[in-house]
Amino acid sequence: MSAAPPDFLVLEDIRKEFGSFVALRDVNLAVRKGELVCFLGPSGCGKTTLLRIIAGLDVQSAGRVVQAGRDISRLPPMQRDYGIVFQSYALFPNLTVAQNVAYGLVNRRVGRADREKRVAELLTLVGLPDSGSKYPAQLSGGQQQRIAIARSLATSPGLMLLDEPLSALDARVRVRLRGEIRSLQQRLGITTILVTHDQEEALSMADRIVVMNNGVIEQVGSPEEIYRDPATPFAADFVGKTNLLPAERAGDNGILVGDQRFDCDLDPALAAGRALQVFFRPEDVLVRGVNGSTANSAAAVVEKIEFLGAYSRLTVRVSGIAQPLLADLSVNDLAEFRVRPGDTLRVAVPAGRIRVFEAPAPQGQP
Amino acid sequence: MSASAPPPACSSAAPRQPQSFGRVHQPRLRVHWSDRIAHAILLVAGAGLAIFLLAPLAMILMKSVQDRAGEFVGLANFETYFRTPALLRSIWNSVWVSALVTVATIPLAFTFAYGLTRSCMRFKALLRNIALVPILAPSLLAAISFIFWFGNQGVLKGLLGETQIYGAPGIVISLVFATFPHALMILVTALSLTDARLYEAADALGTSTVRKFLTITLPGAKYGLISASMVVFTYAISDFGIPKVIGGNFNMLATDIFKLVIGQQDFAKGAVVSLILLLPVAVTYIVDGYVQKRQSALLSARSVPYVPKPSRGFDWAMAAFCWYAATVMLAVLGMAIYASFIKLWPYNFSLSLTHYRMGLVEAGIFGAYVNSVTMAFWCATLGAVFIFLTAYLLEKTRGMASWRPFVRLLAVLPMGVPGMVLGLGYIFLFVQESNPLHALYGSMAILVICTTVHYYTSSHLTALTALKQIDDEFEAVSASLRVAFWRTFFRVTVPVCLPAVLEISRYLFVNAMTTVSAVMFLYSPKTVVASVAIVNLDEAGDVGAAAAMATLIVVTSAAVCAVYHLLQVWLDRRTQRWRA
Repeated sequence: MSAAPPDFLVLEDIRKEFGSFVALRDVNLAVRKGELVCFLGPSGCGKTTLLRIIAGLDVQSAGRVVQAGRDISRLPPMQRDYGIVFQSYALFPNLTVAQNVAYGLVNRRVGRADREKRVAELLTLVGLPDSGSKYPAQLSGGQQQRIAIARSLATSPGLMLLDEPLSALDARVRVRLRGEIRSLQQRLGITTILVTHDQEEALSMADRIVVMNNGVIEQVGSPEEIYRDPATPFAADFVGKTNLLPAERAGDNGILVGDQRFDCDLDPALAAGRALQVFFRPEDVLVRGVNGSTANSAAAVVEKIEFLGAYSRLTVRVSGIAQPLLADLSVNDLAEFRVRPGDTLRVAVPAGRIRVFEAPAPQGQP
Repeated sequence: MSASAPPPACSSAAPRQPQSFGRVHQPRLRVHWSDRIAHAILLVAGAGLAIFLLAPLAMILMKSVQDRAGEFVGLANFETYFRTPALLRSIWNSVWVSALVTVATIPLAFTFAYGLTRSCMRFKALLRNIALVPILAPSLLAAISFIFWFGNQGVLKGLLGETQIYGAPGIVISLVFATFPHALMILVTALSLTDARLYEAADALGTSTVRKFLTITLPGAKYGLISASMVVFTYAISDFGIPKVIGGNFNMLATDIFKLVIGQQDFAKGAVVSLILLLPVAVTYIVDGYVQKRQSALLSARSVPYVPKPSRGFDWAMAAFCWYAATVMLAVLGMAIYASFIKLWPYNFSLSLTHYRMGLVEAGIFGAYVNSVTMAFWCATLGAVFIFLTAYLLEKTRGMASWRPFVRLLAVLPMGVPGMVLGLGYIFLFVQESNPLHALYGSMAILVICTTVHYYTSSHLTALTALKQIDDEFEAVSASLRVAFWRTFFRVTVPVCLPAVLEISRYLFVNAMTTVSAVMFLYSPKTVVASVAIVNLDEAGDVGAAAAMATLIVVTSAAVCAVYHLLQVWLDRRTQRWRA
């Protein structure tokens, strides 16, 4: 080998079977040094299994795990180099906060004074400098999770694994801790993997998101890429709200959804005659400045208006399309157009915002 | 796969290994040396259980198909057994007596438990403690006591008319007394589990009291009722002390084994009867295991505990019943204690310490009491540590995936083996001089081991319950911090589980003090224990000294329970800061 690989953690053809159930199917992934990668997917998609394989808590059925150039596929957890934080915090209840944080330092021949200094440093780092003498049960959930993070950082691991760290917390605390973890991670520059089923968490924290479903990676990309340019119908549907409609091809630069024709960019690789799916986000449905001559526009009857604060979500019906469409309107638009249920509006979807996929094969087939 | 990260740069350099043919080999992680220590202990624990549980049972199976000379005779022993009407009658006796005891005990215990959980009567804690008293005594204390009440020279003999207490009547009422607290504990738990919201919903629908009882209370306690019935039946059919003391000429399976083995030295037939006794116990054990599984599925962490509302008439009725039952129990216990201080029953009722001084100390039997305490001490320390450590290693460490289920099975098996059967297996196994462990025969160690194995399952389940309540990720976190498992075990697991460890220790101590059946075959002149001494004293006609010994056991058990209780209180106080 000439140069060290640029990637810090490399997963090669990771496969995991539980009996006849395949939890992970030949997963390949490279995590760069210092980046925060989110494994995002519904429960049962294999994201936690993948994290546990990286941690050595589960064993892959096949494939390799390489960390910092070292093949760790067969190493027990104690010989790997990572810190881990669980949803349950897993703080030792009978030890004080300081004893918890110092837990990994005790047998590393760290002197007492150095140990205390390190603990104080870490507690300051997570914003709880005065909690050392308390017991975990005396802290709130968010505080406990910060202590768990401090404990995992104490030994300066090369990799940080976070398994749904915020899922047990209140919505408010969750949002705050999200920002704190992210800024801490960036300050320390520690390579981090975060497992979550919360897309908002993934979008707001990650450098890159790995969208997983049914044991495979559907897409890897930055939050913007995942949101704006999903690679598969699953990724489109799972991240953010979306209109996902069955369609068929109509010429070289258009599709037919029900009776409605939409212009859009078509991948020439999509064979004619195959069932397609089109996807566009509710916020891509425009109302402002749309008239009869606007491309990709149609009359829509407002069925329902759901008030969501800064914007409202409209459920509208377009003649010729069986499925209702979702359209997001800002408070200002709503006020200006005075939309009421039962009204008819002219809506448009810009061609550039429409993405077309081949429809997935029916369930039960590969 | 529709999309993924670009393949890593190094993958092209390393050609992929072709998959091996046939079954896919599941790769394993290398084992860290600290985990090897865990594996070694688990290996030893499993081997220990195999030697001291499986091997004795296998010996019984073997002896049952051999003649006296040790030749294989097939089922000949079973044939002769089934052609002996006297022995066959014991099967029937054992079954109907146990069934009757079950039918009598369960409604009584259920009513008592209902009073404790569903009424607003006062002094519930006191009543509960009185009802649990029989657990502190060897089962044969009840038999001795009923002899003093209703025996030939009993104070209330007149009440029975022509009926003799010796035989089935005495056995049944003594067993009801002895099994009552066991059924009560299960039923109290079952009745406390019902979700209060079910009753609130029923009230909202205007449901009658009777209908609520039939549609909510009974179904909710169904598994508890089945489980309690199984426990009572098993206890009754495998108890030895009671039929031995009060049974007279009424034979049951457990006493048959004793007579065949000790009286006639007919080991083969003893083995056959043991296997027959094993059968109903094993069946109830399997039914109970099934029921337990169903019950745990019913539990939900979100249930709201039921809080009874005062209701004058009902509370009074419940209090009346419970106090009546408690008085009877105190009368049974009290009679044995009272009789132990009577100078010469029934001629001289003055109080004295004669039975203690002459009957025990000067007769050289006091040593049996010391032996019992010694044995109980070792069970409560070494036994408890062994059981908890094994449960910990089973539950919280990894690796040795094919050995673990075997050890797990061995840990829950002892509940299905009557003490008489286990004890008999031990003699078969360790009496042989060719056995490298022959030196154990007649020693204190074998009593400690046999008793620990006999009471293994309940202790193991207590440990498992406590361990399951601890976060499963502690071990994972420790490994990620490169801290060996034993450090976390001593620093976290043991302190957190200390209440459960104490409970196991207390349970083993009390049972070691009171057990008769398992050690009946295993003592040597030097290692006679108190409960065995009671049997011998009773057989020699010295019932007063037997009562004295039983009283010593009860007082010791009660004192030890009090000590454990104080320990728990102290522990709670010390740890309440972090338990919060």
